[in-house]
Amino acid sequence: MTQQELQHLYWRASFGLNPAENKSLPKNKKQLVDALFINSYPISPIKIDLSFMDGVSLKTLKNNPKFAQELRVKSRKKLADLNYAWILQLIESKQLLREKMTLFWANHFVCKDNHVVFAQKYVNTLRVHALGDFRTFVKTISKEAAMLKYLNGKQNRKNQPNENFARELMELFTLGEGQYSEQDIKESARAFTGYNHDFDGNFRFRIKQHDHGIKTFFGKSGNFTGDDIIDIILENKQCASYISDKIYRYFVNPKPNKKHIDAMAEVFYKDYNIENLMRFVFMSDWFYDEINIGAKIKSPIEYLIGMVKTVPVEFEREKDILKIQRILGQTLLDPPNVAGWKGDKGWIDANTIMVRLKLPSVMLNNAMISLKNGETDLKDDLKKAYLKKNKSNLPFRIKANWNRFSENYKLIDIDNLQDYMLQGRTNIGTADYLKTLNKSSKQEYCIQLMSLPEYQMC
Amino acid sequence: MDRRKFIKNSALASSLFFVPNFIKAFEAVATEQLGYKRLVIVQLAGGNDGLNTIIPYNNDFYFKARPQLAITKNVIKLSDDLGFHPSLSPLRPLFDKGELSIINNVGYPNPVRSHFRSMDIWQTASGADEYLQSGWLGRFLDQHGKKPYNALEMDEQLSLAMKGEHFNGIATYDYKMLYKTTKDPYFKNIINHYNDTHLSEHNLGYLYQTMIEAKSSAKYIYENTKVATSQESYPNNGFAKQLKNVAQFINSGLDTKVFYTSLSGFDTHAGQNNKQTKLLSQYAESVFAFVKDLKQNDTFKDTLILTFSEFGRRVKQNAANGTDHGSANNVFVIGKDLKQAGFYNNLASLSDLDNNGDLKYSVDFRSVYATILSNWMNVSAKGIIPTEQKTMNFI
Repeated sequence: MTQQELQHLYWRASFGLNPAENKSLPKNKKQLVDALFINSYPISPIKIDLSFMDGVSLKTLKNNPKFAQELRVKSRKKLADLNYAWILQLIESKQLLREKMTLFWANHFVCKDNHVVFAQKYVNTLRVHALGDFRTFVKTISKEAAMLKYLNGKQNRKNQPNENFARELMELFTLGEGQYSEQDIKESARAFTGYNHDFDGNFRFRIKQHDHGIKTFFGKSGNFTGDDIIDIILENKQCASYISDKIYRYFVNPKPNKKHIDAMAEVFYKDYNIENLMRFVFMSDWFYDEINIGAKIKSPIEYLIGMVKTVPVEFEREKDILKIQRILGQTLLDPPNVAGWKGDKGWIDANTIMVRLKLPSVMLNNAMISLKNGETDLKDDLKKAYLKKNKSNLPFRIKANWNRFSENYKLIDIDNLQDYMLQGRTNIGTADYLKTLNKSSKQEYCIQLMSLPEYQMC
Repeated sequence: MDRRKFIKNSALASSLFFVPNFIKAFEAVATEQLGYKRLVIVQLAGGNDGLNTIIPYNNDFYFKARPQLAITKNVIKLSDDLGFHPSLSPLRPLFDKGELSIINNVGYPNPVRSHFRSMDIWQTASGADEYLQSGWLGRFLDQHGKKPYNALEMDEQLSLAMKGEHFNGIATYDYKMLYKTTKDPYFKNIINHYNDTHLSEHNLGYLYQTMIEAKSSAKYIYENTKVATSQESYPNNGFAKQLKNVAQFINSGLDTKVFYTSLSGFDTHAGQNNKQTKLLSQYAESVFAFVKDLKQNDTFKDTLILTFSEFGRRVKQNAANGTDHGSANNVFVIGKDLKQAGFYNNLASLSDLDNNGDLKYSVDFRSVYATILSNWMNVSAKGIIPTEQKTMNFI
C-alpha cells in the first residue's frame, strides 16, 4: 500500500495518521484492516461525574419545582463536560474505528437531550453498537430514553398515537424518503405505543398504553410490537441499500457510485452486520481509487481532531473547546435537527471557510502564518513583539506541544511534509506557490499547510 | 502615533480628499437605482410568552390561568382588550403612529413543541411533518440573490433560514474581523496563485470559490460601510449591537436585502416575570433606537422588521411561576405605511384551547412570509414557500 493509500484508510477510519505510527503498522492491506477492527473490539463508555443526581428521585422533583429547575440548569452545564469528555476520547482513544463509527451513527440516529444522564447513556449506546448488529442497534435506539423524548415516543399511546418516531424510523433511520405510505406510518406508530422510560432512563413498556390490536404494515397483518415492525422493515432490501449509500457517502466519497453501493448492500443484507460491511468497504480495491482520495470535505470534528492529533494541544479552558466547535459549525450533542448535519458542502460558507483557514495559526501559532522570504516586512524582534501582542488578543488559551510534533515528524524531510499533511490533489497554482515558500522550520511550514483549502479535504 | 500608522491614515485621508465630485455624485445615483426593500428578521429564541407580551388585561380566563404570573400592574392599554407588557413602552409611539402591526395567533397545523423542531419549521417554512434542508430566505436568495452579502446574519453561525439549495448568506458577528482575516497576506497569495479552472466542479474548487467570495464580500462590506452614520445611542447589550450593525449597513446603502438578528433566553419554565421583563426591555429599547436611527437617515421607509418566536407558551402557568411550551403566538411587523396597523386580528379564545391547553392558531406563519415576499420584496412566493398561501393585507 502506498503512503497516500495508507493515510486514506486512516483518514476515513479515523482522523489521520502520524508518520511516527507508520513503522509499527503491518504492511499488507488485510493485516492493516484487521488491526483496525481488533483494536476497536474493546468498548470504553464515556463516564463523567454525575453525582449531582445521586439520591434524586422523581418524587423529590415533583415536590420541589425550584430544586428541579436548579437540577435542569446543572444538567445543562454538565452537557459541556460530556462534550469535552467526548472530544478527549476522540483524540486519545485507541479504538479508532469505533470512535469514528460512533460519530457517524450520532449523525444517523440523530438525537438531542438536555438531560445529561440520558445524553450520556445515548452516546454510549452508539458506542456499544457502532460495529455490531444493525438490527439490535435499531431496536435499542427505539427504546433509548433520549430518543423516546426527542421524537415523542413516550407520548405515543393507545388511542392517542404520536407518529413522530415511526415516521423518522423509516424516513431517516432505515429506508429513506418515499419508501412507505402514510398508512404504514400510522400502523407502525400503533406498534410502538406504550414505549416509555423510568427516571434513570431505563426502558419501560407500559402495557396498558400499548395498542394490542391488529396492525397492517407493508402488507402484513398481526398484533405487531415495535420490534416486529423493525424486523419487517429490515426484510426490505431497501434498508440495506439506504444504509450502504449513507456509509459510502461518509466513508468513501460524497458522490455516490451505484455499482459499489449495490455491492455493499448485497453484503449488508445477508446479516446486517456492520463490521462485515465496513470490512468489505476497506478491503475493496475501489476504496483506494484515486478519485476517492481527498474527495471529502472534513467535518469540523474531523478537521479539529485531525489537527490536534498532528500537533497535540492542551486546552487551558474547557469552554474554548465548545467555542471552537460552535464557530466551526458542529457542536457534539447539539445537532441542528433530527436530519442531522447536512455535511459535505453544507459545512462551508463564507464565514466558516475563513475560520477554518485561520484557526490553525490562531490555535497553534499565535495567529501568525509566515510568508516566503523577503515578503514579510517583520524583522525578528518586531515579529517577537507582534507575537506577544497577538497572544494577549487571542480568543483561546491553548498550549501547543510542538515538541511532540517534531518528534512525530522527525524522519520526514521538510520538502515532503505536504505529502503527509494533505490528502488528494493540490491546486497547481497553490503547489507552485508552496515551492516558493521559505521552508526554514517544519513548524512554520506545518502552519502554512494547515492554512490551505487543501487541508480541509480528506 | 507611529510613522507607519500616520502614513496609512494620511494616505487614506488624502485619497478621500481627492475623490472628484462627479464620482461622489455617481455613487449617489447608483445607490438610488438599487432602491429596493429590506427585510430585517428578529428571532426571539426560546419561545416568547406571547400572552404576557400582548396582555388580554380584561380577560377572566387569563387571570384564572395565571394566578401568580398574570401581569396586573402598568399594562399599557392599546385597545379595549389588549395591552403591552410594561417593558414594551418604547414601542408605544410606533403603535400610535401606525408603524406596528400585531398579528395574533400565528402558528401552523399540528404544532410541535420542541424548540429545535419548531424553529426549523419556522425557518424552513415547512409543515409540521416535513423536513426541509433549506430555509425560506435561502430559497429567496437562490432565486433572486447575486452575491452572498445580499443576506447577512449578525451571528457567527448561519441559520438554516439563510441557507438556500445553492446559495448561502453570510453570517458574521464582526464584519471587521472577517475582513481582517481575509486580508491575511498568506491568503491573498493563495488566491492570486490559484489557477485551475477545472477544479471548480469538485469540492476543492468549491472551497477556493467560497474563499474568493468571502474575500470579495468582506471587502465589499468593509469598504462600503460608513462607520459614522449612526448618531443614535443604542442600549448596551448584544442584541442592540446586532441592530446597530444592521442600521449601519442599511444606512450605508449596502446591497443587502435580508438581515437576520436574534435575541435568546425566552425559555421561561420558571421564574418567568423577571426574565421576560428584562428581555422584553432589551428588545423594545433596541428596536426603538434602531427605528429612530433609520428614520434619521431616511431609510425606515424601505425597511420592514419582522419579529417572531418559534412558539408561544402554555396559557396556564406552571408550579414554578413559569410557563411550558405552547403553540400559536403573536408576530410583530414594523414598518412605514402599513396597510393594517395596530391589531391585525383578535386574540384567539382563551376558553377554547387545543388538547394541550394551548391557543389555537388562526393565521399560518407561511402566509405572513408569502405576504412579505409578494407585497414587500415584490417577488413571487412560488418556489420559496412550498405550500400555496393566502396573501394577507398588512402591507
